[in-house]
Amino acid sequence: MKRTIIVMVIVALLCSAGLMANGVSEGTPIVTLRFEQFSGTDSNDSGPALKEMIAAFEAKNPNIKVELQTIGYDDYFTQLQSKVVGGNASDVFELNFENFVSYASEGALADIDKMVGDTAGFNQTALGAFKYDGIQYGVPCSFSNVVLFYNKALFDKAGIAYPTDDWTWTDMEKAGKAIRALGNDIYGLYRPTTFHEFYKGVKQNGGALMTEDGKAFTMTLVQNVETLERMVGWQNDSNIMPTEAQMGGMGDWDLFKSGRLGMIVTGIWGFSDFTTGCSFDWDIIVEPGNTQHASHFFANGYVVSATSKHQKEAAMLASFLGGSREAAQIRVKANWELPPVNYEDILASYLQITPPENREAVFKSLDYLVTPPVVKQQAEMQDIIGGYLSQVVYKKMDAKSALEACQAELEAKITL
Amino acid sequence: MNFGNEKMIDSGRRGWRRALPFLLPSLIGMVLFAYLPILISLFLSFTSWSGISRISLTHGFFKFVHENFLGLQNYQEIIRSSEFWTVLSHNFYFIVLYLPLMLVFSLTCAVIINSKTKGSGIYRVIFYIPVLTSWVAAALIWKWFLSFEYGPINNILSFFGIEGPLWLQSETLAMPSIVLASVWKDMGFYGMIFYGGLKGIDPTYYEAAQIDGASRKQLFFKVTLPMLSSVTFYVVMLSLINAFQLFPQVMVMAKDAGPNGATQVMVERIYKYAFRFGKMGYATAYSWILFVIIFFFTFIQKRIEKRWVNYDV
Amino acid sequence: MSEKHETHFWFYLIGTAISIIALVPFLWMISTSFKSNGALLALPIEWIPKKPTFESYSKLFQLSGFLSSSFNSLFVAVLSVSVGLLSASAAAFAFAKLRFKGKDLLFMVFIASLMIPSQVSFIPLYLIMNNLRLTNKLIALVVPCVFKAFAVFMLRQQIMSIPDAYMDAASLDGASLGKTFFRIILPMCRTSLVTLAIILFMDSWNDYLLPLVLMTSKEHFTLPILLNSLSGEFKTSFNLLMAGSLLSMIPILIVYVCSQKYFSNGLQVGGIKG
Repeated sequence: MKRTIIVMVIVALLCSAGLMANGVSEGTPIVTLRFEQFSGTDSNDSGPALKEMIAAFEAKNPNIKVELQTIGYDDYFTQLQSKVVGGNASDVFELNFENFVSYASEGALADIDKMVGDTAGFNQTALGAFKYDGIQYGVPCSFSNVVLFYNKALFDKAGIAYPTDDWTWTDMEKAGKAIRALGNDIYGLYRPTTFHEFYKGVKQNGGALMTEDGKAFTMTLVQNVETLERMVGWQNDSNIMPTEAQMGGMGDWDLFKSGRLGMIVTGIWGFSDFTTGCSFDWDIIVEPGNTQHASHFFANGYVVSATSKHQKEAAMLASFLGGSREAAQIRVKANWELPPVNYEDILASYLQITPPENREAVFKSLDYLVTPPVVKQQAEMQDIIGGYLSQVVYKKMDAKSALEACQAELEAKITL
Repeated sequence: MNFGNEKMIDSGRRGWRRALPFLLPSLIGMVLFAYLPILISLFLSFTSWSGISRISLTHGFFKFVHENFLGLQNYQEIIRSSEFWTVLSHNFYFIVLYLPLMLVFSLTCAVIINSKTKGSGIYRVIFYIPVLTSWVAAALIWKWFLSFEYGPINNILSFFGIEGPLWLQSETLAMPSIVLASVWKDMGFYGMIFYGGLKGIDPTYYEAAQIDGASRKQLFFKVTLPMLSSVTFYVVMLSLINAFQLFPQVMVMAKDAGPNGATQVMVERIYKYAFRFGKMGYATAYSWILFVIIFFFTFIQKRIEKRWVNYDV
Repeated sequence: MSEKHETHFWFYLIGTAISIIALVPFLWMISTSFKSNGALLALPIEWIPKKPTFESYSKLFQLSGFLSSSFNSLFVAVLSVSVGLLSASAAAFAFAKLRFKGKDLLFMVFIASLMIPSQVSFIPLYLIMNNLRLTNKLIALVVPCVFKAFAVFMLRQQIMSIPDAYMDAASLDGASLGKTFFRIILPMCRTSLVTLAIILFMDSWNDYLLPLVLMTSKEHFTLPILLNSLSGEFKTSFNLLMAGSLLSMIPILIVYVCSQKYFSNGLQVGGIKG
């Protein structure tokens, strides 16, 4: 037995020596870029689309080769952080809006202000989201907003008119109640009381979570309290929105696709999934507000690592994938969110794809964009606020006291 | 007895010189891959490092220390925070439910495998299968399993006319659900340990008791259990250490804290502070506090073991 | 006679009950892996998919790098087990049979390492590996296996129960410690070695966070890294995941079933000497 073990170890060590020396030699590329990201996965069309974009880039730049690594969202940031700390991050990597500020402020990103080339084709709001302290650290690669989706079949069944872009909460509640009445497991609306929905909801009611200059929290504004009470009411009072219990672990999209949900507020990244997964007709409208409209703005972007040895090429890759016509066209075809560009013809082709019919709502919503409060301790702040919102939902605290306690905790823990 | 020979043999074995070559690989590994990272993390726990900026021993190390050194502040903040005590209580809740259930199940498994009846070999294979899964897969399955509408558990319960409750979504049943999944996964493993213990019991004890006219039940409680006491202590110690470090199940089954934070536990908080909130220094302090807690309980256990365990020779 | 029958009855009843509990989640896993996307959410619940399909499996096999990453995983796992067992059994031998100053204290130090939550040593560990220039090399996944406290713990138990007489006889015959270790002690630890081999194999095979961070080029990915890339931010196909997890479990299952005869003594941990 001893002999077998020793032989195995020796053989294995020899093989590993072989593997270590394994340089898969291809034709001599001059620069190899490592690129990692999470939003384009092979489990839907986005993965192949990304590969197409990369191929187009390589065709245009024959001296650059791109090595792509796709990592699941759940582990993406953990492993990214480790690599950044170790000085080993990929040349180009993806960040979402929330994490961008942390990385930029810790010096992990390269200043690509001068290297991105002509940025006129980018949607300027999206481009601005990747600026920190006035310097451009990244380029947006996709952006999306949130709209209200509705199930036409259920509306027909309840005998009510389809929603329009100028609906308000009151209209939404009325329709929700009518649809809820259709059956015990049919629900009218899905709009949970979470951090993201809340900061947008207060804006739709004329409130805000922070002052304009971002120097102080304003959780206890009357409009905020009203908003919270109303949002929780959708779940606990009229029950047009299912409680966690009623959802029973089912996903919100799944509920909508199963045809048992009248309206859902979610992102336009759901288009491709709903197109293939819904057996009924559906459409969208600009999200209804109370005193005004407000719609989320999310953007993902590509940044260049401060430790990259090929910053210029990396910036070119990022810029191409984010803002070139070719990439934008591929993205539109694959129904993979919105390319952050303002090329009229590409946007026009975006509008032509249906469903949904009312794609203009996506662009109309751009007039009412709100972003989450940009704070370095982003995740921690969300965690704290989310905790208090949850207390109200579970009826452990009333809206007013929850917001007051939240304000106190935020002031204690978050430095603005 | 040949005393001359004994001395020769002993001096051959004694001393570090002889032991070192055997110990060396493990030792090097231990220092490099276990204790060095731990010491680094101890150092970090005295700083306010975010976990994102680079640190290196060569450049700017003193600047880093100067800007970020906090002394014991992280520790003080943690002990004063109500969050720490809440999550600690959640860990205790898990342990209080998990330990007894796990002991019962694994002991039962062991007894069954140990029985001379036909088929015990098959059971031995089957009971261990859950141990072989990865936690990620197992947690996903259980999450689905316990789903109120789509999960088989409630489906089965409904065959018996019982309306299955909400599992992972209810504040009260969320942690018990995690306990269920954990017991399922671990029972085979601890079962095998108990099985080893059962095998080690000298059959003469049973024979003696049987001659005295003991029934099966008495045999079990008066002979088997006491003889298993040292193994039981080992099992309790191992599972306690494991239970304090409860993590992958919670992350997968109850992402984002579970219903109203009911399943937030120590390691989940450590992970979030380290990798989501950019507060690595704080997270390492948390993890050292956890270590002290685990060490404390293990120490108490060892004390109890000295007094209670039956080490019959 | 009837007491025996009664015991048999209880034995089968409880045994079957526990087996069902142990196996049902698997059956669910298998069944889900054969479902198409639509069937995943069908109500009433389909235990046996009405329209079973191989599409999840074919998607997995078509994933570029599926075979190479499986091979990498296998390679790393086999090496890890060999290195781990050799190193741990050597250390266990030293703790069990040799005498040296500070032995008990050192052993405590070994065991104490089990009590430290791993999440936070993760980044320092990565930094160390980075400094040792071990990034993006498969060997990096094997090297840490040189220290496995739990294995040392178990092997020490087993070696302690080997009567000293064997060692005495060997040294009387003039055998060096090394020879004694390899020819006499190791073979007598067969049970623990096999049990540990399975545990170590599993740990290595399923490990994904450290490999995810260390391996940056495709040729070096292991299987869990590949499977991980299938989880999207918003949508994860359960059937794909289940199929992937099942495939991933197959080698471990095979190894386990084949090694059953070594398990006849269970895992020796307690201090009772026979």
